[in-house]
Amino acid sequence: MIKLTDVNACYQDFHVLKNVSLAVEKGQIVVMLGPNGHGKSTVLKAICGLVKKVSGLIRFEGENITGLGSEKLVDMGITYIAENRELFPQMSVLENLKLGAYSRSARAFEKKNLEKVFDLFPRLRDRQSQLASTMSGGEARMLAIARGLMSNARFLAIDEPSLGLQPNLRDEVAKIIKQINGQGITLLVVEQNIPQITELADTLYVLEEGRISFEGSKEDALGNDHLKEIFLGM
Amino acid sequence: MVIEIADVIISGLINGSVYALMAVGLTLIYGVSKAFNFAYGSFYSLGGYIAFLLFGLSFINNYFLVFLLAAPILLVFGFFVEKVLVAPLRKRDDWEIKVMMITLGLALFLDNSFQVIFGSRMKSLPPFLEGGFEGGNFYLSHQDVGIFFLSIGGILLFRWFLNNTRTGMSVRAVAQNPAGAQIVGIPKEFVFAATFAISTVMVGMGGILLAQKYFITPMGGWDILVKAWVITAFGGMGSIRGGLYAAFIVGMLEAFVGWYFGMTWTLIVLFAVLLTTLAVRPQGLLGKWG
Amino acid sequence: MDHRRISFLLAVIWTIVAVLPLFFGGTNFIMHILIMCLIWSVVASCWDLIMGFAGIFSFGQVAFFVMGSYASAIISAQFGIPPIFAVFIAGGITAGIGILVGLPCLKLKGAYIALVTFAVHMILEPVLKGEIGRAIGTGGTRGLLTIEPMTIFGYTFSTASPVPYFYLMLLVAVICSVIILVVIKSHWGTAFLALKDSQEFAACLGVSAFKYKLMVFALTSFLTGMMGGFYAHYVGMLSTRMLGIDLFVTLMVILVIGGVGKFPGAIIGAFITIAINELLSPLGPYRPITMGAMVVILVLVLPDGIVGLFERLFSKKPHDITH
Repeated sequence: MIKLTDVNACYQDFHVLKNVSLAVEKGQIVVMLGPNGHGKSTVLKAICGLVKKVSGLIRFEGENITGLGSEKLVDMGITYIAENRELFPQMSVLENLKLGAYSRSARAFEKKNLEKVFDLFPRLRDRQSQLASTMSGGEARMLAIARGLMSNARFLAIDEPSLGLQPNLRDEVAKIIKQINGQGITLLVVEQNIPQITELADTLYVLEEGRISFEGSKEDALGNDHLKEIFLGM
Repeated sequence: MVIEIADVIISGLINGSVYALMAVGLTLIYGVSKAFNFAYGSFYSLGGYIAFLLFGLSFINNYFLVFLLAAPILLVFGFFVEKVLVAPLRKRDDWEIKVMMITLGLALFLDNSFQVIFGSRMKSLPPFLEGGFEGGNFYLSHQDVGIFFLSIGGILLFRWFLNNTRTGMSVRAVAQNPAGAQIVGIPKEFVFAATFAISTVMVGMGGILLAQKYFITPMGGWDILVKAWVITAFGGMGSIRGGLYAAFIVGMLEAFVGWYFGMTWTLIVLFAVLLTTLAVRPQGLLGKWG
Repeated sequence: MDHRRISFLLAVIWTIVAVLPLFFGGTNFIMHILIMCLIWSVVASCWDLIMGFAGIFSFGQVAFFVMGSYASAIISAQFGIPPIFAVFIAGGITAGIGILVGLPCLKLKGAYIALVTFAVHMILEPVLKGEIGRAIGTGGTRGLLTIEPMTIFGYTFSTASPVPYFYLMLLVAVICSVIILVVIKSHWGTAFLALKDSQEFAACLGVSAFKYKLMVFALTSFLTGMMGGFYAHYVGMLSTRMLGIDLFVTLMVILVIGGVGKFPGAIIGAFITIAINELLSPLGPYRPITMGAMVVILVLVLPDGIVGLFERLFSKKPHDITH
């Protein structure tokens, strides 16, 4: 569904991504691991139109989407969910969710998606009118994911969903990722080595110093010594 | 004595309401796009002159029509200015200085164009309401009451827009978190242009409302710019609620100082209050998007 | 630009300016304009130092200039101090006021600093015209009509033969430009570059934003106030009309043409702007309209002014002091 070929990207004058090629097939969950600061977020952002200086080829269902802005891409069904969540602090949970459905294609499904999202995250339904700035870390993370779902996305790029969460919440996040995928959404997830999440991966990628250093299935990963180093080192 | 004080309070309220309309416009642009529009005062005069021209047309004979026609003209003008003059500068270094410079150039161009086209003598608009409420020595013109309610109405309309329309919500979103707005797919450039356009309408309307009281002059906008600026900074740049409180406080303060000490002291007192506030709270009264 | 390039450019500029009296020495009118160019080039360079280099949005430049000019005139009139000393004292007074203004406002952000400094400008007029002003000898609304002309070692400069004053101003301008160059290239300069990039990070490195900003503020106020004094003793009269919007706009146009943060662009800008101003005067009321339109077009087309244009034409990797 999403295919990157020899993508280079610069972020704030720094050459972050170097000839990155990867592919996410429709319906898959692909997890990208790697040390911090080596460009994992940039890969997601580049796909979702949030990085200005991108070269190479990014394709979505065969169509070339390299260099398109986030407005177009969200409309096409590609949404980024930031590790900082980037919520709207002075707005309520409900308003944040409504804004998630800003794009034209999502507007028609706003009511339906709102119900779906509340079913998935019942706690958000309870806190509908609460200001986003007053939410706890875990709740804010849920809200960010929920807002992403409101865009009627077919492809979600999720950046470190378990960051800063306690172990029991991590289980919840993993469950939600599985549920979302079960509803037909393709996922590319960037994470630290969180067993609950890497468990779900159809394919694993490792990004080191802006380059793909490993591509394979979980089983391949287990047999790879270099990777073991990274995993243990992290 | 009581009547005099009542007069002062009412004057303060009325001016405050129009100031509120204009300060909100300025704080809006700053809060959303961090740009400073030096031509804001000229837009105020522009509103007055547009109304003046419209009244010159034979089929225009009431304010309702004038507002109806002036608003879209101002809206389109503001949108156009942002797209052509401000947006291209955003990519450059020191873009805030450059925006100030280009809007200053625009102000120069507009003010002097007004002078050449309309002459430097004051222009006035016909009053929209005649008569007033009387009671002994007390007189409150219908005009002033009308101005007050129209300004308040404008602000309420704006608040409704912000909370209940998609564009309004996108404006708040960009102001609160530009990164988040981008993630959600809100077209930032459009929002920047839209807020600029809206603020142009607000200050232009202010110009039309106050034109009957204070007349229209080519250079009259600078006082307005400074006042709007002081109010915005006082209330906290980017805070709409702060701007509203500040506008009324300033309106009242101005009325009282002008009455008690004389008009020449108003500016000094205003700045003194502003400076002391900023010394204690560098971000203004409610400095944050609110 | 590295300091060798700037020094070279400065030398070229000043040499060209220095020989101008050979061509125009006979026409008092042109000499008068050139003297004004010299004065404004220093004032504009100071503003450039504050805005483009130290990143402070100060709008008090004109106010400081007027303060300095009034101060010098009053000091020489009321205390009998020779003008040549009065201008320096005036510079000192202006610097003192600059520090007073800077102390509270340099802690504020961007647009707030602009507002506060603009406030100083707006308040100055009623203060000078009003009771306080008349008490210290500003002549109130009338202004000052007789100011001592500049005298050095017994020689009195007069407007009748402006060439000597031209050379005096040239000397002053050259010295000021060297001072500014030294500031830019000194460790102050590197400190400001660090501050511009990231105030928080620089603070970690021990760079006190506040201290440096205050020093630059004081220095530029001093120089500007001093130039105000030189202006007063040359022109011989002062009024609060100088506080009108025209001067402010002229200074801004100078920076637009010269390039913000591109020293010595302000100097080049000053000469070009004043020249254009004169050339356009037959347009009468259409002149400010044309200037306004020019500013708008120039900011869009030449955002870094003339110096920026040269940088782009002559270097592959334009390095300016703001990077």
